[in-house]
Amino acid sequence: MLPPLTPAGTRVSRRTFLAAAGGSLAAIGLAGCAPAAAAPTITFHQSKPEAVPYFRDLAAKFTASQDRYRVLHDMATNLSASFVRSSPPDLGCLNYNLEMARFMERGALADLSDLPEAGSIRDDVLDLTNWYPTYPGRTSVIPYSVMAASVIYNRRIFEANGLSVPTTWDELIEVCERLKAAGITPIYGTFRDPWTIAQGLFDYTVGGMVDVRGFYQSMHQVGEKVGPDSEVSFQKTLLEPVRRMVQLKKYVNPDAASRGYGDGNTAMAQGQAAMYFQGPWAFGEIEKAATDLDLGTFPLPMTDNPADLKVRVNIDLSLWVPQVSNGQQGARAFLQYLMQPEIQNPYNAKFLGFGTVKDAPPVTDPRITEMQKYYDEGRFYMGASQFIPNTIPAANYIQSIMGGADPEATLRRMDADWARLAFRA
Amino acid sequence: MSNATQTIPAQPLATGKRRFGGGPERTNWPATAILILCTLGVLVPLYVTISMAFKTTGQAVDGNAFSLPSPLTLDSFVQAWTLTNFPRGFMISVFVSVTAVAGEIVVSALAAYAIVRNWDRRVFRWSFFYLLAAMFIPFPVVALPQIQLTGLVGLDNPLGVAILHIVFALAFNTMLFTAFLRSIPLELEESMRMDGAGTWQVFWRLIFPLLGPMSATVGIFAFIASWNDFMMPSLIISDPELQTIPVLQKMFQTQFSNSYNVAFASYLMAMAPAIVVYLFTQRWVMSGLTQGAVK
Repeated sequence: MLPPLTPAGTRVSRRTFLAAAGGSLAAIGLAGCAPAAAAPTITFHQSKPEAVPYFRDLAAKFTASQDRYRVLHDMATNLSASFVRSSPPDLGCLNYNLEMARFMERGALADLSDLPEAGSIRDDVLDLTNWYPTYPGRTSVIPYSVMAASVIYNRRIFEANGLSVPTTWDELIEVCERLKAAGITPIYGTFRDPWTIAQGLFDYTVGGMVDVRGFYQSMHQVGEKVGPDSEVSFQKTLLEPVRRMVQLKKYVNPDAASRGYGDGNTAMAQGQAAMYFQGPWAFGEIEKAATDLDLGTFPLPMTDNPADLKVRVNIDLSLWVPQVSNGQQGARAFLQYLMQPEIQNPYNAKFLGFGTVKDAPPVTDPRITEMQKYYDEGRFYMGASQFIPNTIPAANYIQSIMGGADPEATLRRMDADWARLAFRA
Repeated sequence: MSNATQTIPAQPLATGKRRFGGGPERTNWPATAILILCTLGVLVPLYVTISMAFKTTGQAVDGNAFSLPSPLTLDSFVQAWTLTNFPRGFMISVFVSVTAVAGEIVVSALAAYAIVRNWDRRVFRWSFFYLLAAMFIPFPVVALPQIQLTGLVGLDNPLGVAILHIVFALAFNTMLFTAFLRSIPLELEESMRMDGAGTWQVFWRLIFPLLGPMSATVGIFAFIASWNDFMMPSLIISDPELQTIPVLQKMFQTQFSNSYNVAFASYLMAMAPAIVVYLFTQRWVMSGLTQGAVK
């Protein structure tokens, strides 16, 4: 049946609809414009979720403290898309990794070397950015917070079994054996999440034995010739650490293959295992499930010499200003605001990061103080898994090794992938 | 459109006096079992979502997804509300969805009407095939040029997303409308023209109301697609203050942190409109699903 034709009725409803649509459009437009008219808006991209309220608060404080700029906290915009559109955020505060380095390599980030803050960064920390491809002659990123990661261990379980922190590979095996004999799971494995194996077991075992930076420099030089006969290769250089990684499989929980990152955090909170191969980001999650714990960290010993001990680091947050940003001055002003010791140090203390400036205070949280020594002495490496382009599913390959695949064959495959990628480039 | 439920003759199972061989009233136990399983497939996750949203952070990560929240807390809702700036994101999502729904219905109906009534002309016939060809181009393939284009013409905002939704759905919607339009007799239209109606009047007073059931189908699909869409707004909208709800909710899912309780509270709030829309339109959803199948 046809609806009754009431011209007036339909007209009005259509008009109402259009008016409503127009009205809401205008409202949105106005809302976007009104504050911008007062002071130029500086978009501050920061997407570390647990720190969002913290930085949002800082942005509001900075906006209130002066009247030249308004800082808009952005955690939702797609970064690559904004660069494609030539409207990137004015100031970025992100994890510095291989993906981010691509922007730097192509000269998309402005030179910040003239800022006094650039000179205040520890040389070996600033140098970490050079592990990735760089743009010559520029200081494109200023490290803001460094995360140091090593084996998380339950101090009470260690004490109850009369164990001390191992400093050599043999001691580590002994600790595992004794825990196992006492009926305690030595290591909690979360093999369902490939990244936890790559950033934990794989990075720690490789970093403890191999010079990661030198290895990847050679790998890039050899390029498409990487293979069984090249001077460096995954199958040759990394075989020994990977074999040892497989050796540690004996000491993980039997259901590791079906456990994910969240399960691991809960298990550690409940004291189900003595050791956990995760970074300090896991502490925040473990804390959610239980606070009455005594956890510490120690670098995974991979050799027979305690002098070889090193911790894994990554630049958790770095500041950069895109070349095409049209709010350079404001971005720099906010960058300088963030870099003030009274702003930067409390951030690192709250989120378990290590300071990046030369006179940064030592960390005080008992869970990570054991790593301060290594950080101060520059005994650190960046995770080997972080230098493999995403096109090579390295984390999945490593997961398959822990699942029982032949290490040699899998590493051979990674070599082939590497060579193929180098050939294409 | 009569999908009244089949009336089952009152035949209490307890009597056990059913004839051998069974009639239409016989309970189909295997099918019932499968349907119960399917129902559980919806209800169990929904239960976890709801109970999780009311849990405290500590309880949310204790590994017992099925436990009842104790103590019951509304903190997660408060947190989700402020973290995503829910009212603003919600209004943007509503704006995008309403514009996309209205636009898809009107634009596709107009296109289909023009094409069907001019089928004998080559330009219209080929333009139909041209539109259909667009069905083979998914958004991700042309995402990069779209980002640049929308940026150039100042459409890197919710309106641009709504327009892109309209355009990308044009192919499929026009096909639905064309198939339905062919079943409307030309004579109806002719009688109206005899009385002096122009093409616009014919369309708005006669054709468009007749397209009602199909418009409902298109509208429902358009609403679901635009309300839940993540990729397009995430790539197209450049101003973080104008971002839609699904994109804002991304912050709850990361590699390094789980905030199940906050995330689920936020998802519940975002799901609410879709559920409300479904409750009011399920009559048309059910009929609409078959509408597209019948020519």
